[in-house]
Amino acid sequence: MKQPNDLIIKMQDGDERAFSILYDNYSEALYGIIYSIVLNEDVAQEVLQDVFIKIWDNSKNYDINKGRFFTWILNIARNKAIDFTRSKANKNAKKNLEAANFVHILESNDNLENRTNGIGLKKLIDALKPACIKIIDLLYFKGFTQVDAATELDIPLGTLKTRNRNCINDLRGMVLN
Amino acid sequence: MTTEELILSGQLELYVTGSLPPEEADEVEQAINKHPEVKREVEKIEATLLHLAKAVAPGTLPVRLWAYVTGAVRGVRGLDTTQTKATNWASMIGWAAAILCFGGIFWMLKQNNGLQDTIQYTTTQNTVLKEQKENAQNDLESANAMLSVLRSKDYNVYTLPGNQAVAPNAFAKVYYNKAEQIAYIDTNGLPEAPRDKVYQVWSLIMEPLTPSSVGLIEAVSEVENGIYRFENVPDPEAFGITLEPAGGSEGPTLSQLYTLGTVGQ
Repeated sequence: MKQPNDLIIKMQDGDERAFSILYDNYSEALYGIIYSIVLNEDVAQEVLQDVFIKIWDNSKNYDINKGRFFTWILNIARNKAIDFTRSKANKNAKKNLEAANFVHILESNDNLENRTNGIGLKKLIDALKPACIKIIDLLYFKGFTQVDAATELDIPLGTLKTRNRNCINDLRGMVLN
Repeated sequence: MTTEELILSGQLELYVTGSLPPEEADEVEQAINKHPEVKREVEKIEATLLHLAKAVAPGTLPVRLWAYVTGAVRGVRGLDTTQTKATNWASMIGWAAAILCFGGIFWMLKQNNGLQDTIQYTTTQNTVLKEQKENAQNDLESANAMLSVLRSKDYNVYTLPGNQAVAPNAFAKVYYNKAEQIAYIDTNGLPEAPRDKVYQVWSLIMEPLTPSSVGLIEAVSEVENGIYRFENVPDPEAFGITLEPAGGSEGPTLSQLYTLGTVGQ
């Protein structure tokens, strides 16, 4: 997916329409990320609101020549969600600790088959090796650094990198065809 | 590292998920800018991950969410209604409390000043009243003293009638204690002496006419309003009062004799 730099620049100049298109492009993915951390729909939606308000307020901090826009907003989303789990308002602290990973969420999603982006996900889940699930969960959904993830999984950094690459490659074969 | 090696290394996946330390991310960035195939690879990784995250989302997002976001950012860009409203309440209450507090303090200070003034005024009043009371007591005491003199059997009272030629309406009263040779002269019936003149009291022996000065009617000898006390008054046959130049005279100026009366035995 090409990054919509023209929209990002317009948003940085205060264009609300460009902002709304970016919201359409990214809100659902960020919702998924946030939900995988806070594990509550209402809370996830609230955090998502804050995330987009922060994206708008801090849009000038992003430089299209430095890093992906998606990586930038992904960081904002994960940080806000993690902030929430550490806040006093969080009643799911224990549940969060038990750390349901994204696959548990996918599996428990009853109406998965009814959703457009759910098509083929059953296959996708089945295709993911348990090791992949853990790696992707830590690096992508939980925002671990490569070093922290390698430590957590007790594997060498090089192994982590190639395994992660292969896991995402597997997904990619199913998702992008 | 060739682009092929870079793609296979797994660095690009970590770059997209934001898991690389800054130096390694910079290296990936440079490769992206240099080699379109690296950029394409990154875009595909990103698309895959986006897809995965969307699948994890527990449902579609309600429309009100976007409405809330736009409302909030418009507020921030514009007059910031939500925020200023929120802060306004707090600050308004704060200011109101502060103003009330200051008002209260000023009011109390004013009240306090007012009370201080009242206290001072009352204290002054008290002093004045005390003085008045003391004066009244003194007056009463001297009046009582006078009264005891007048009532005493030791004192005889004589009225000196006015001299027809000089002051027909004038008179003076004399209270005389023969034993102690003390005389009180009441000059209430005399006209006021001119500024440079003074009344002088004389005791007189008639045969032959021998006047001797008893004293001047002046403040030193005054004991009560218009009543003067004189001691060592020799037993006279008559008392006379003349108007003399200030300081008094050796002998009486008979042309200015105001009152004259015999002291009958």
